Amino acid sequence: MTSNLTPSISHSNSPGMRMLRQILRNRSAQFGGILLLLLIFLSYAAPLLTDFDPNRNAPSQALQPPSIDHFMGTDNLGRDTFTRFLYGGQLSLRVGLSGIIVGAVLGITLGLVSGYFGGWLDSFLSWFNDVLMAFPDILLALAIIAILGPGINNAMLAIGISFIPSFMRLTRSSVLALREMTYIEASRALGSSDIRIMLRHILPNSVRTLLVLVTLGIGSSILAGAALNFLGLGAEPPTAEWGAMLNAGMKYVRNAWWLTFFPGFGIFLAVLSINLIGDAVSDAVAGTTIVKERK
Amino acid sequence: MFIYLIRRLFTSILVMFGISMLVFSVIHLVPGDVTTAILGRQNVNAEKVAALREQLGLNDPIIVQYGRYVSHALRGDLGNSIRTKQPVSKAIAEQLPSTFALAMSALTVAILLGAILGLVAALRHGSWVDTFVMGLSVSGLSIPTFWMGLLLILFFSVRLKLFPSISNGSSFADLFLPALTLGLPEAAVVARMVRASMLDVLNKEYITTARAKGLLEQWVILKHALRNALIPVVTFLGLQMAYLLGGATIVETMFARQGIGRLAVQSIFSRDYPMVQGVVLVTAAIYVLINTLTDITYGFLNPKIRLQ
Repeated sequence: MTSNLTPSISHSNSPGMRMLRQILRNRSAQFGGILLLLLIFLSYAAPLLTDFDPNRNAPSQALQPPSIDHFMGTDNLGRDTFTRFLYGGQLSLRVGLSGIIVGAVLGITLGLVSGYFGGWLDSFLSWFNDVLMAFPDILLALAIIAILGPGINNAMLAIGISFIPSFMRLTRSSVLALREMTYIEASRALGSSDIRIMLRHILPNSVRTLLVLVTLGIGSSILAGAALNFLGLGAEPPTAEWGAMLNAGMKYVRNAWWLTFFPGFGIFLAVLSINLIGDAVSDAVAGTTIVKERK
Repeated sequence: MFIYLIRRLFTSILVMFGISMLVFSVIHLVPGDVTTAILGRQNVNAEKVAALREQLGLNDPIIVQYGRYVSHALRGDLGNSIRTKQPVSKAIAEQLPSTFALAMSALTVAILLGAILGLVAALRHGSWVDTFVMGLSVSGLSIPTFWMGLLLILFFSVRLKLFPSISNGSSFADLFLPALTLGLPEAAVVARMVRASMLDVLNKEYITTARAKGLLEQWVILKHALRNALIPVVTFLGLQMAYLLGGATIVETMFARQGIGRLAVQSIFSRDYPMVQGVVLVTAAIYVLINTLTDITYGFLNPKIRLQ
């Protein structure tokens, strides 16, 4: 309470900073943020936290329940599940992030071009987008994997492509609203090129709405990545990855619950943390939105 | 309404046209030669390759191939599986009922559970019940389908020994765990929607009027509020078929159930391209059909949509 009374010197009042402050004040975002940082730390500090090698077999230690030596037990090959959990987190988080980056970059570019230039190009791209959207959920990613073949990089690419439609649609609708603004007209009158107008004037003003999609998208992307790995279409054994570990552990579900419980818990925590942050971002954006979406 | 109907159908046909092109090109986009991909590098001999190219019709110009694919598909002929040599359409027709039973039972779980939780949360708005239900809902949204299934197996199947962890039929016991796995995350979404929609409706003047008439509170809630609050939810559920059809892939793999999702995954592994193409085409077509019907129903119900 007292902090409100102390005059602060460096409070910038730009809308971006206001939004950031609103997000940081949000309880669930604080919780989600700490959880996410913890997961990232655990994954990337893995070599410091464990002495085991994620891929070295120790048949004499096979299928041991959680103990002091092995926090999360061992798998059928005697590998330490905790170690594999930590290393697996790196890959799961990376798949999620790469997927969303590919999807966002391609989708936003297509949406910008489509909305800005309009005409037959817009009609064609929108049609293409409708077609991509007609593949329910994970099916588009499956079809792409069918073409490229299974593998972790192909899985990332497939997830990325399946995210294009939502980004393209949102960017396009935001561009359509902005395109008619006076400041865009002014910029054009001053001789700005199309690319400059798109990148300097339109994109920064669409960032707000896209931010929500990006944040929540990371969660969906992690989920999709884990799902493809669970289906066996991503990481090849012995690579540690949460979805793949879950799949491998399914065979031992009756006598070794720890093999499937912990990797699943990891995915759950990662997605939960991002959804909590995403909800806060979405609230903050709704509070400061300038551009109204137009259908 | 007539013009709206025509326009909507036209869009769907255009989309189906695009889907058929994408699905058709699957076989042509495979890096390298598709016959090598199917036969494997060791088994390649000129005779086998020639036979396979003939079977897949790869020797004709691409336009001819596409035309043939579409005209066959329209007559229900999706080619033959490379592995089993059986017609793809037959295999899909055999697997579809199982997936349909799963999707429908999951939808039932989602509606019943979601509506009850959402209703309770809205009626106790701001109380701990509301916070609890919403917390449950965020967790439900974040739980991966396969982990949800696993927890259910560990609890109901391994610990309580009530339901089988491998289930292939359409009986209650067989469908119970798969339907819960697929339906619970969906129930979380429905609960959020029902809550928001109920809160909105409860503030409407006709609710005040109903109360002012001296109607019993239960009657006001059930007859006046809930019925109106469910309208947006019902239309939304049509769109959720996408999630159910996609999620079926994972649930079917998890419980080793028959179904088109599992068929798709297995065909990807065995590089049975005609089968993959068939499953993707049929699933996308079902989805487009559901969306079109939802939109048309919506157009009937809401004149504003028709005029847009």
